[in-house]
Amino acid sequence: MFTELNSILNATPDSFTQGEFILVSDRQSDASFLIHHFLSFYLRARCKVCFLGLVQSFSHYSAISQRLGVSLTQAREKGQLIFLEGLKESLSILIPQETTTGSQAMDFLRDPTVGLQRLYEFVRSSVSSDGGGEEGVEEWGPPVLLVDDVSVLLSLGVSAGAVLDFSHYCRATVCSQLQGNIVMLVRCHGEEAEDDGSDEGSEWLLKGLTHQCSLTLHVQGLPTGYCRDIHGQVEVCWRRRRGDGQHTQKKLFQYKVHDKGASFFAPGTSSAVL
Amino acid sequence: MLSELLQGTDTGAVLIIQDSCSYSGQHLLKSFISAALNKEEAVHVLGFDVSEEELKDGLTASTQRLHFHSAYTDPLGWTNRTAFTVHQFCVEELTHLLKQTSHPKPVTLVIDSLSWILRHVSPPAVCKTLQQLKKGGAVRAVIGLLHADMHQRGTVGSVCHLATSVITVAPGTKGDEAVAKITKRSKSGKVMQDEEIFSIKGDFSVTVVSKTSHAGHRQTEPEEHQTDPTANLTFNIRLSDTEREAKEKLALPFVFSKEKKTALLQSGPGSGRILYEPDANDDYDQEDPDDDLDV
Repeated sequence: MFTELNSILNATPDSFTQGEFILVSDRQSDASFLIHHFLSFYLRARCKVCFLGLVQSFSHYSAISQRLGVSLTQAREKGQLIFLEGLKESLSILIPQETTTGSQAMDFLRDPTVGLQRLYEFVRSSVSSDGGGEEGVEEWGPPVLLVDDVSVLLSLGVSAGAVLDFSHYCRATVCSQLQGNIVMLVRCHGEEAEDDGSDEGSEWLLKGLTHQCSLTLHVQGLPTGYCRDIHGQVEVCWRRRRGDGQHTQKKLFQYKVHDKGASFFAPGTSSAVL
Repeated sequence: MLSELLQGTDTGAVLIIQDSCSYSGQHLLKSFISAALNKEEAVHVLGFDVSEEELKDGLTASTQRLHFHSAYTDPLGWTNRTAFTVHQFCVEELTHLLKQTSHPKPVTLVIDSLSWILRHVSPPAVCKTLQQLKKGGAVRAVIGLLHADMHQRGTVGSVCHLATSVITVAPGTKGDEAVAKITKRSKSGKVMQDEEIFSIKGDFSVTVVSKTSHAGHRQTEPEEHQTDPTANLTFNIRLSDTEREAKEKLALPFVFSKEKKTALLQSGPGSGRILYEPDANDDYDQEDPDDDLDV
């Protein structure tokens, strides 16, 4: 959890805006540090977190969260965290073994044309399950869905339209119905291209998700190239009006990722420059 | 022209609000809903993009005449909680939907958004439905939001061809302002184009900040951005005709004219002669510097 980012987004684990759809995107850079931030943030905020980890193994996320001061293993045991390990699940579908019952969440691997309905049902059941209440388990706050990252679904053969349907259903359930939050990561490769609304690709997906979301964090490399003291820039854009009449508000920050955290500063005010 | 469109639309009007990632047309759509409600019209909203709470949030006008048909929670029928699915988007279903509530007043149908429908229904079918709605008389006006950057240019073009008015919104240069490019086709076939800068207040009332005619805007824009470096000079950089003449007459010092050449080469008698009287000290032998010593 990066406190500097919290103050930028005007959120603390004790009080944060509910019902938000946060879109994290990157281009020629790596925004996964933001996913780790949001994961530790919502776990500290005592939210019920459903994490679709499609890129890395559980131990990878666990090791990083440990550094940020949150134990994923404990959270999972307490029932606060529901972790879908995409790598393992897909393996159990691609190489079926009798012993593994497995969830049906990754069913789209068998036939990508059917869409992501099963994955959505997995999300819905994990965010809305009350745990029965009989064990006297702890009560958790509003549900949170984190996806790292949705562009992997494109690589697995799912169409971008199906991903948009999936995100729409997640938004309707998590954000609107349960007043929880969603954080999704999309990666775009290469330069920004004018691709005339063609129906595929991560660019199109990014546009579609941008129309759905309420807050975007877009991470880019520095336009001037690599720098040792500045790792890139992040553009924060609020898209929904928040009562006070402001529609869209954009802010640009440069950042540097440290061993245990990250610092954000206004462009041109890094220690290397001043 | 924007306030004109907000004030009233003719029967059988189809209005499309085009937006893109950089500026959401949702607020303008809400302004249209609010304006229609203020005119005592019944408004039916076909909501795909936002939930009912989000749509009604901030609408000050009485929402009794606002009927929300939620296609937001379950547009594809995945969870069987549906009020309306995207595949029901045809004239029969829509007229059935509109007839569920009885009202003598004219009906405005708001589609939020057409992009959602176009992703699942083929563009020809959507166009056909829109055309039938336009002619059918069940609704007085159709207002649709379209995320233009989500579709191929041809699809956007064919949908906009059906529309009687198209408003394309884009972010403005400062703060809350946005730019709307309006194309309006009147029944006589006359096409009017206009470009206006507007801002939307908290109660979704639209204020037109300034009007810029299409051609005029294009001309003034670059001048604003490129500041003229010759604007505030302390000296004059332009020449009048007499000054130019004088300038052209002037012979520059480094230009060799014929007169100059002859004047320099043919020296007159007695001028520029070198007189040399040999001096003992000038006769200096380099090899023997001590030559002058009487040793």
